[in-house]
Amino acid sequence: MPTIDMKEGKKIFILLLILATGISWMGINNKYGKPKPVPFIVPKGWPQPVYDFSKNPLTEEGIALGRKLFYDGRLSKDGNFSCGTCHQQFGAFDSYDHSLSHGYNNALTTRNAPGLFNLAWQKEFMWDGGINHLDLQPLAPITNENEMAETLENVIAKLKADKEYRQMFKAAFGDETINTQRLGKALSQFELQLVSSNSKYDKVMRGEAGFILPEQLGYDIFKKKCISCHTEPFFTDFSYRNTGLPVDKVLRDLGRMKITGKAEDSLKFKVPSLRNVGMTFPYGHDGRFFSLMSVFEHYRKNMVVGPVTDSLLRDKLALSNFEIGQLTAFLHTLTDSAFLKDPRFVQPGYENLSNPPADIHQ
Amino acid sequence: MKRPIILMCMLTVFFAAGLLLIPQTGSSQKKLSLSFHHRVGNETLVLDNSYTNILGENIVVRKFKYYLSNFSITDQSGKNHLLPADYFLVDEADSASKNISLNVPTLEIKSINFLLGVDSIRNVSGIQTGVLDPLQGMFWTWNSGYIMAKLEGTSDSSHIAGQAFTYHIGGFKGETNTNRYITLTLPQKNKPQNNIHITADINHWFKSKSEIRIAQTPVCHTPGALAVKIANNYSTMFSVNADH
Repeated sequence: MPTIDMKEGKKIFILLLILATGISWMGINNKYGKPKPVPFIVPKGWPQPVYDFSKNPLTEEGIALGRKLFYDGRLSKDGNFSCGTCHQQFGAFDSYDHSLSHGYNNALTTRNAPGLFNLAWQKEFMWDGGINHLDLQPLAPITNENEMAETLENVIAKLKADKEYRQMFKAAFGDETINTQRLGKALSQFELQLVSSNSKYDKVMRGEAGFILPEQLGYDIFKKKCISCHTEPFFTDFSYRNTGLPVDKVLRDLGRMKITGKAEDSLKFKVPSLRNVGMTFPYGHDGRFFSLMSVFEHYRKNMVVGPVTDSLLRDKLALSNFEIGQLTAFLHTLTDSAFLKDPRFVQPGYENLSNPPADIHQ
Repeated sequence: MKRPIILMCMLTVFFAAGLLLIPQTGSSQKKLSLSFHHRVGNETLVLDNSYTNILGENIVVRKFKYYLSNFSITDQSGKNHLLPADYFLVDEADSASKNISLNVPTLEIKSINFLLGVDSIRNVSGIQTGVLDPLQGMFWTWNSGYIMAKLEGTSDSSHIAGQAFTYHIGGFKGETNTNRYITLTLPQKNKPQNNIHITADINHWFKSKSEIRIAQTPVCHTPGALAVKIANNYSTMFSVNADH
């Protein structure tokens, strides 16, 4: 056995000291250090996002906090309604199979909950574009009487009373301050993760897969008849258009006009993305169309053309039965099944369940 | 071995002393406090008390609050001095909010200028904190933007539920903009200018550039022509107490 002389012993002691210091540093960094940055990856060929990440840098801790908040019913008055209640992952974060969603006290909402994805590229939110920032968006459903029906004061008070939240806010933002701004920022961090860019269509565009004939024919028809509003790669141009939908006599929803106060915006609604369209039925701002077929029927037959109907639709949209068949085949290639099952977006604690969460009608 | 340590200590002390000796930049500052007094004509406003407004309609005020921002002062030579960005929510129900303290350059002040409202940039930059936090109840969540000023109450003239009148005045875009720049000229009587008393007369909401009768117009809750009309009215509500 070799002996260790004094000099060597000293060297080993110093090395051990450095090692110990290093380890303790790592420990301190985990507990008190800065949150870990997460890059935002723009899918190949897509434009730069409009969301200003410099004001709300993505971090692991921020995203985890946002995810917990998204699925927390305590954001509602009676604890029953989280964001995730009406924005279900298996429906591309829309209210699956619901024309209108259910809110507090058995109230119905007045509009069809849209799917949530690719929000980093969206400048305005809601069917009428009334909300001008992603961080602000959750405040509307949280405070709306027929949705979550809670006050912001109460939400903040509930979060402050919860030790786990205090720790998570500290981990994400550096201290335990909980306010509306941080609530919105954390929810945005989670929602910004919801990027849907891996449908069969995307794989075909990337040269990783090929369309079968009806899909290809459908894509060709789509490029002739649909693409000017449902523009690639988002399958919406984010504009507001009047597509000849007669006003619902009960809801009396005038759409964009409610925001701008201008008659020319009467019955204009945001062009919805067609990504995951196979999963987001019913369709339309009030969910009046329960199938793709009924949407096609609207465009080719049932439109009510008025003075502010979109100029592209003045003569309705001629579609043969054959074209509808091919278009349907193409639209189903926009379903992003990896997105619909991505474990990163599941309610915390439910990552390993292969079945979708139970329907709220059970 | 000990020499370098002593040297290090000395250097640290010199460095620290040097930091303390760096003079404060900028001209000298003083505190200027503004006290807001709410009235209905000649009567002091008390919430839930009844008054007769300038158009002869009786009113009971339940809520009265408004945002002030973008303060600047004009000195006697006519030069404008922008003050650091700060936002205030003056609320009749919160007496502390009716006293505002500003840091201003030590100059003879000719006028105080401010925005009655919240500038457009803060209306489009996500969620703000402090008095601009949406939980203050001065923010529209369904049509993003601040309520610049709010006046709520009841009146026998009102034909809506609860005989209420509710004026939530907002809008920051183009022709629907309800932000109003206010200039208050201070009386020049060689008075100390440390505490300025400002009166806001609610009567101006109802009659100034135009008339707003509760009987005809009990509600304003959206940006648009009516909100602009009411903002034009209340933009004249401030005056500086001459004998402060």
